[in-house]
Amino acid sequence: MSDQENVPPAAPAAPTAPTAPAAPSGPPSAPRPRSSGPGGGGDRGDRGDRGGRPPRDDRGGGAPGGGPGGPGGRKGKRQFFRKRKVCRFCVDKVDFIDYKKAEMLHQFVQDRGKILPRRMTGTCSRHQRWLCEAIKRARNIALLPFASEL
Amino acid sequence: MEERLYDLIFILRPATPEEEIAKLTHTLEQVISEHHGKIEKQENWGTKRLAYRVSKHREGIFIYLSLKSTDGEMVKELERRLKVAEPVIKYQTIRLDEEMKLQKKLVARREKKIARRPRRQAPPAAAAPAPAGEQPSATPAT
Repeated sequence: MSDQENVPPAAPAAPTAPTAPAAPSGPPSAPRPRSSGPGGGGDRGDRGDRGGRPPRDDRGGGAPGGGPGGPGGRKGKRQFFRKRKVCRFCVDKVDFIDYKKAEMLHQFVQDRGKILPRRMTGTCSRHQRWLCEAIKRARNIALLPFASEL
Repeated sequence: MEERLYDLIFILRPATPEEEIAKLTHTLEQVISEHHGKIEKQENWGTKRLAYRVSKHREGIFIYLSLKSTDGEMVKELERRLKVAEPVIKYQTIRLDEEMKLQKKLVARREKKIARRPRRQAPPAAAAPAPAGEQPSATPAT
């Protein structure tokens, strides 16, 4: 479990960096609150500033924290809200994911070659299915690694 | 059998001379024409780095073919030839016509949707520019 938490924050930052500005902000914002990275620290600091009722705050934050961007009861009390991730392929209205575009597929693969899960990239289920297929085809013809040696 | 669309990619050893590539593609073309296939597209991607080692090579010459055929035996024969050919280190054939069909369907559906949408938006949109258009035309006239 700790392994999984360690990998994602690093992985999405690399693949999303060269893309359009709208999409990258989605993936990295999700892992940060969970990990003990800079984002988590900032959240805690914010809470301290408004800490009129810290115990209540924790309760309020705990419940909707599970769901991404859940409205919750009190919007003002939510210190961060996860930016809703949108499927990049739906935005671009992609009907076919080309396995030959290795550069593009590279964004949806971790450094070691694993396919990034939907929760990291925000891809919708249909496009994830297509993407998965395309990545596997690209792997077969040596455009993408099965597992990159490091 | 209806016509099918295939993508064929094969990788050659990086040291393969040009004539040999030409010879190989020529034989493939012959096989394709024998089976009444058509070459839609032919691309030489040049020497590319392989994502992993293939028969001790880290680079390879990629050649891409897009084919159309009604004869499934063609693919069989092409793959057999590629398997036998000495400079070829990897090849892959993918049938794509079903996915293209789905893509066309989705595009058609979206276009239909777009075509339908303006009808709802048209009345207010048409009403708005009309008076705006009249005013500027009226002022220069006077």
